[in-house]
Amino acid sequence: MTEAFLGIDIGSISTKGVIIDDGGEIIARSYLWTEGNPAQATKNVIAELREQIDEGDVKVRGAGTTGSARRLVGAMLGASVIKNEITAHAVGTTYVHPDVRTILEIGGQDSKIICVSGGIAVDYAMNTLCAAGTGSFLSSQAHRLGVEVEEFGEIALTSQNPANIAARCTVFAESDLVHKIQVGYARQDIIAGLCQAVASNYLNNVGKGKKIEAPVVFQGGVSKNVGVVAAFERLLDMPVIVDADGHLMGAYGVALLARDAGASATDTSEGGAFASGAFDFEAALDFAYTTRETHCGKCANNCEIILVYRDKDLVDAWGNRCEKGEVMKARERKAAK
Amino acid sequence: MPMPKIHEVGDRVRSSVALHTEKKREPRLRPRQHLKKKLRHKPTKVAIFRYSYYAPAFKYFIEQVLDCEYLRLPDPTDRNIELGSLYSSDYVCTPFKHILGDFIEALELGADIIVQTGGPCRLGYYGELQESILRDLGYEFTMLNFSHGIEKGYVGWAKEVLKVVNPDLNIPHAVRQLIATGGMMSKLDEAHDFYLANRGFEVEKGSFDRAWTALSDAFDACKTDRDITEAFRIAMERFHEIALDKPENPLRIGVVGEFFTAIDENSNLHLERKLTDMGIEIHRMINFTNRYTHYNEPNLRRGASKYLLYDMGPTSTMTVAAALSYAQQGFDGVVHAKSAGCTPEIDCVPVLQQVSADYGMPILYLTYDAQTSDTGLDTRLEAFYDMIAMKKEKHL
Repeated sequence: MTEAFLGIDIGSISTKGVIIDDGGEIIARSYLWTEGNPAQATKNVIAELREQIDEGDVKVRGAGTTGSARRLVGAMLGASVIKNEITAHAVGTTYVHPDVRTILEIGGQDSKIICVSGGIAVDYAMNTLCAAGTGSFLSSQAHRLGVEVEEFGEIALTSQNPANIAARCTVFAESDLVHKIQVGYARQDIIAGLCQAVASNYLNNVGKGKKIEAPVVFQGGVSKNVGVVAAFERLLDMPVIVDADGHLMGAYGVALLARDAGASATDTSEGGAFASGAFDFEAALDFAYTTRETHCGKCANNCEIILVYRDKDLVDAWGNRCEKGEVMKARERKAAK
Repeated sequence: MPMPKIHEVGDRVRSSVALHTEKKREPRLRPRQHLKKKLRHKPTKVAIFRYSYYAPAFKYFIEQVLDCEYLRLPDPTDRNIELGSLYSSDYVCTPFKHILGDFIEALELGADIIVQTGGPCRLGYYGELQESILRDLGYEFTMLNFSHGIEKGYVGWAKEVLKVVNPDLNIPHAVRQLIATGGMMSKLDEAHDFYLANRGFEVEKGSFDRAWTALSDAFDACKTDRDITEAFRIAMERFHEIALDKPENPLRIGVVGEFFTAIDENSNLHLERKLTDMGIEIHRMINFTNRYTHYNEPNLRRGASKYLLYDMGPTSTMTVAAALSYAQQGFDGVVHAKSAGCTPEIDCVPVLQQVSADYGMPILYLTYDAQTSDTGLDTRLEAFYDMIAMKKEKHL
């Protein structure tokens, strides 16, 4: 029997899941679009993971979640670890590449850089006010040019003369792009210019002031775009490593954290997916999760409180800024009476 | 019959005269009161913008120095920044919006006078701008703006106060109470330094917050310098009695940054509370006392002479010197907080990056805007905490 751990990274654009054994090897992987429905995307990922393992042999003892919907999905699955994506990426990458010095990550909505020294993260930065040059920008531009975003990199590599596209801001980049299309630039030159723009925008904003040292590992959905990888290699003048599982690194990292937390940290309460001590795929797929939003209304802040129900049971609530809006505690008090 | 004594005759005459005149006089129902001039008017309500934990000192200043009534603003809500953003230019820095929102709320609550302190950067011009915005909105009020009279220092400010607020001010008394106000500011800062360093390690959750509320309430009730000293003594005793579960070598973070955003918890989305909740010891050099009462810019700059050749701005020297001092003391990290569009603090960032690289100490840069959400901040702080905690664990 194999002890295993589940890691799920629910991003704004895609949802990633892995199952690792206790040696840290990935035994199942899945990558699907979130399509604005993290709960359903998670179920799809879990269903896909289930097909890749032998359920009689593999017992999933714990789960971890990361990404922007980590709290919601963490509540759904009864995860033992709910971690931010920066930590998850740092943990996953340093496990695979113990000698890594710089991790570049460009996702659907955010981008970050993590500097590593001696196997631990020592500095990081995240895009601040805007999402310029992230994956969603590339995919909307691909749509405009009428190509699939997956083909983007290959097309970019065929260009001999990349167009110069302003990288500072998505809005400016877009008007520049429209102009270049209208004056008749070759499509591959524009696409190569876009890839170049994403890389230089990243280095000018997120990477500003950070010392980028080799070895450099590039992750996130955009790392699958060979055009951007080539642009980074040219701008940094050093090789950039892209793993086959690079896009899964957040999920992998959080699965490792769940493994380190151990089976004892798992919430095995009645009715949850871990009620039997091991992850019940059937139950996780069967539960109906609904999220309801309510406004506290007890002061002018009017905090938006998110309530997560599994079937009809409230499993988690958050969003309140003060004790007036504590839904869970109020319920606990009621139950105690 | 013996002759009556001469004084007895006098008494009898006086009493008969009194009786006689009493009958003639119109009965007066109430003796006429001669009220002091200030009591003949209803008291003037004065309000100051919300600024961190300094409200008791503002109250003391208004009631004891200016001899007016203090109008306390309720705890801030989102409405504050909504009002502020609605009526100010988008590109102005966030403190302007917060302060404007506070003023609008104060005027709605019936303030007669609002106080703008001015400041060492653009803030110095904000008073005039806010006054004209509020007049355009149709509010009637008096503004006490300490940017006026600044060129003559205390004399100029005293003339401004006499002219705008209260012409009957007892100057020697007001000066004594002003010094006491400064003392209260320092004591608030001193108590808060202790609070920040230890709140993360309290055994019973909430004991530091309760002690802080008690301190704040006690300071609110103070009327003299002696009251302040006594209230402070009692409050500090209570702080020291709180049971702590503090490791020998806890995670330590220094908070540096802009004067308003780094200090005011409403502006920085309770940065200090979030950090101390994670079990971190916080130090923050920048506060009223260190920036005004004990401020010696050239001296401070000499401590960071490798990085600073001249005074870069209102709080820049303190930001860099504090970050450097934390690095030299072996802190685990520094958080730099500024509002969007704060030019002096943006100028500090490259210098801080150099300090960070030289000492191998990570610095988290936070920029606060009116739209900043808690979620993004939580993610960044959590990641920062994980990073420094893992680093520390590895080095031990």
